[in-house]
Amino acid sequence: MSLKYLQEAVGAGDAEKLIRYVRLHLGDGDEAAGRREIDKAWIEALKLLLDVPETDRAFILQTIAERDAATLAHLYFHLHFYFVKRSGEWIHDGLL
Amino acid sequence: MTGYSENAAAQLRPGLWQTVNERYPGSMIHKGDFVPLARLRKPLAESRLSFVSTAGVQLKGTLPFDTVHPVGDYTFRRVPSVSKRDELEIHQLKYPTHGAERDLNVIFPIERLQELAVEGIVGALTPNFFSFIGYNMDAERLERTLAEEIADAVVADGADVVLLSPA
Amino acid sequence: MQRAVEQRGIPTVSITVALDVTRHIKPPRAVFLPFMMGHHFGVPFHTQLQRHIIEAALGLIVEARESGEVRSLPLTWAQARKQGTAIEREMKTEISRP
Repeated sequence: MSLKYLQEAVGAGDAEKLIRYVRLHLGDGDEAAGRREIDKAWIEALKLLLDVPETDRAFILQTIAERDAATLAHLYFHLHFYFVKRSGEWIHDGLL
Repeated sequence: MTGYSENAAAQLRPGLWQTVNERYPGSMIHKGDFVPLARLRKPLAESRLSFVSTAGVQLKGTLPFDTVHPVGDYTFRRVPSVSKRDELEIHQLKYPTHGAERDLNVIFPIERLQELAVEGIVGALTPNFFSFIGYNMDAERLERTLAEEIADAVVADGADVVLLSPA
Repeated sequence: MQRAVEQRGIPTVSITVALDVTRHIKPPRAVFLPFMMGHHFGVPFHTQLQRHIIEAALGLIVEARESGEVRSLPLTWAQARKQGTAIEREMKTEISRP
């Protein structure tokens, strides 16, 4: 999808087009797979917090307070892939 | 050099353009015309050869290509043409790299190109080869910025002839 | 990309495993191989094939008459892999020789 296509979707408030693009990116072109990848990442993150371990909340709050929104958005995508990798299953269309 | 076959084997993965265009609409480049051929001005044995790759190969220890960004990575890396195979790594998510991981030359033939220069088949290699990552959802931006930047860098490195390999 | 370099007066040639994509991109010169994505120069440790592909590409630089020419090499992926497997077997045999 061209940048123009996505920008038009933002302008029109077309949530479906935008989330479809996210799913395609995360699912390597397969929207259904992308949905599963989103769920998988969240499940992995949840698993890490079940025992309420010590976490660096100061770092988290500081990062959110100090970093610009675009960097945080980029981080969000990185974190998705981080958790997906932790699940041990990695989406990769070996055919393409 | 052997001649080419009229009955070339069909591409391994049929309908690739169609598949990629369906999955990533608007990301595929389409051109309506051909650009005029530039001619080799010196014999190959006196020419400086450069190599441009979309395989996402870079020097180990440098900032990795961004395979995570939803719209893509519009930067390129210089890969010194004297690099050894084990100084390089590949960052690529969109196609199989099992061959490249065992022998990088299958996608980034740095050793073969070095050999050609040593043997005098080509005059020399440019100081750098150029690498970027082929995942670019904004084809227009790719052409407007990255393609022009790499082309300028290739010229600045003194290339007389350029080999390219897409992903 | 390739076209941008050619437009600056430097002859270029690319390797492709996807003829249909190449037909859309219309590069000035290309060598086509029916190989797997990510394996444009062949198979691991098959130095002769890797080199042959590069030399075929450089040959096209010298010989192409018309922009858009695509040269195909008469080798299948199955043949390349078979040769590669044989080469690797030979390599392993040499290593294990006392």
